[in-house]
Amino acid sequence: MRLSDRITGSFVAVLGVLATYGGSQLPPVPGQDVGPSAFPIVIGIGLVLCGAMIALGIGHSFEEEAEADLAAVEGPPQRAQPADSPIHKLRALLPPGLLLFYVYAADRLGFVPTAAIMIFAASVAFGARLRVALSLAILAPVAIHLVFYKLLRVPLPPGLLPMPW
Amino acid sequence: MSELIEAFRLVVAPDVLIAILLSSIYGLVIGSLPGLSATMATALLVPVTFYLSPIAAVATIIAASAMAIFSGDIPGCLLRIPGTPASAAYTDEAYALTRKGQPEIALGAGLWFSALGGIAGTISLVVMAPLLAELALNFSTFEYFWLAFLGLMCATLVARSSPVKAIASMLLGLLVACIGMENPGGVPRFTFGLSDLLGGVEAIPVLVGVFAVSEVIRALVSPEPPPLPRRRFGSILAGQLALTRKYWRQMTRGNIVGIIIGVLPGAGADMAAWVSYAMSKRFSKEQHKFGTGHPEGLVEAGASNNASLASGWVPSLLFGIPGDTITAIAIGVLYMKGLNPGPTLFTERASSMYALYIIFILANILMIPLGIIMIRLASQVLRAPRATVMPVILVCCAVGAFATGNNLFAIVLVAVFGVIGYVMENNGYPVAAMVLGIVMGTMVEQSFVTSLIKSDGSLLPFFERPVSAVLAAMTISALLWPAFIWLWKRIRPRPQEHAL
Repeated sequence: MRLSDRITGSFVAVLGVLATYGGSQLPPVPGQDVGPSAFPIVIGIGLVLCGAMIALGIGHSFEEEAEADLAAVEGPPQRAQPADSPIHKLRALLPPGLLLFYVYAADRLGFVPTAAIMIFAASVAFGARLRVALSLAILAPVAIHLVFYKLLRVPLPPGLLPMPW
Repeated sequence: MSELIEAFRLVVAPDVLIAILLSSIYGLVIGSLPGLSATMATALLVPVTFYLSPIAAVATIIAASAMAIFSGDIPGCLLRIPGTPASAAYTDEAYALTRKGQPEIALGAGLWFSALGGIAGTISLVVMAPLLAELALNFSTFEYFWLAFLGLMCATLVARSSPVKAIASMLLGLLVACIGMENPGGVPRFTFGLSDLLGGVEAIPVLVGVFAVSEVIRALVSPEPPPLPRRRFGSILAGQLALTRKYWRQMTRGNIVGIIIGVLPGAGADMAAWVSYAMSKRFSKEQHKFGTGHPEGLVEAGASNNASLASGWVPSLLFGIPGDTITAIAIGVLYMKGLNPGPTLFTERASSMYALYIIFILANILMIPLGIIMIRLASQVLRAPRATVMPVILVCCAVGAFATGNNLFAIVLVAVFGVIGYVMENNGYPVAAMVLGIVMGTMVEQSFVTSLIKSDGSLLPFFERPVSAVLAAMTISALLWPAFIWLWKRIRPRPQEHAL
């Protein structure tokens, strides 16, 4: 997701305004000038300044140089591919989505089934063949459970499918 | 002397030795897989360190990070895809050597000079740390404030991006560090009524999100790297002694530059490699050979990035200010294990410090045999398709973050910061600067507010003490440096353009 400097810069500046305002609303420590609000206000002002400079394109020349250096190493960027459709880009949301799924489902289903679903979905999205994805989804969660639950004593939820160890 | 013997006793404990061996193998494998960086390897190790003794915990981090920085050279050399960002600077050169049919020279140089560089870095740590510890005992909050601020500024200076964006990332990190109750007033700040945020945003889930999940996302939207052609290697270390003799000047210079960059808070192995490679080219007598498979730059940059790893521990151990993103994680582990960073660590826990030095040396010696095995097995390891590695990493991210506090909210943080990290990196905002902001935020605020209270709201005492004045001058010049460079370029046209 590549956005223009104008958009990201404005976002940073707005965040700075919010931080300054939110910070100034914090209750002070009685009898003291400097309290919990000082630091957020300073940061907020800094963010507003940076955001404005980014939106105005100050410092952009440094970025171009760094990109040129990197391009010299990695060759021309191979981004522009026909697969770059909106649906293709949406795949980027899969990993965070799967993590949120884990948060939602781990206590209900238990670790092993939840992790199996995550691994299966992710490996299919990476283009694995169905047989590979299925066997990975069955074996990997059990192995991870063994290491983290048995050896490292992380209390992973048993859920529907408790492991024998 | 008794402390040194005690240190040896600590290191040769079976659990420590096993931890070093296993984490070395782990670091070699993760570092060699393209897209999985040394920082990510370290971040995923943290939950494992919970269950180890303090020395074993630190040992895993030292060993895994050193190995990962070296093994990042392997796919760079064989596939032209750097395994870790620290190898990116000289990937082209190494690949050119492979194309000339001499991958052994490139890989051997990476291995040999990495190990030597790591040992040089360790020596610098041994020499520098106690000297600086004495100085640091006299530091007040003013000095700590400037030191932390200088660290943050260095992180923005060395980012290979627009300095304005780097500073913005750093400020974002500081803003994230504001969340929670741990502030001068003890009031809930920016928690939006969520009780999960009262304790603040912890560094480990953020690191896992920013360095691991965002890599998984990036891998998902980018094409699969080409498979590695099977090949047999000749002797890896043959010819390295000749190279050492021929390029000992370059090696020493690489070591020194790496050590200096490592000591600078916030600047790490990636930067050391870029600077050293550029320096090697600039001062070389055979400049025209660079880029065509010439080992000189490899020697210097390889010596540099591993040297920076060890010296990065100097500010971390002394001040709790991370020397790079790897030590940012290590500091969290040190606190958890009761080895709180600070100058007194060197007087009160001297045997632990000696043990740490010994582990560094041991890991760098161990790197040579394990590295040779890894190079020989590289074609098998690199054959592991992303479709099997990445999903497992994703689950490990979830479990690892959960293990930090047995709290599901940490996984939400991982997901959120995974997306933030991906979007930021794609738009030229360096995430390392944000991470350092988050790690150091509380310390910066505490020293800032305490100093302000001490001085009754006046800014003058920030500049009055001699050491703090020097640190202030350094910080402010770091802040103004990009503007100076920009002006300099305006006045003088770029010399490279004439050369082309």
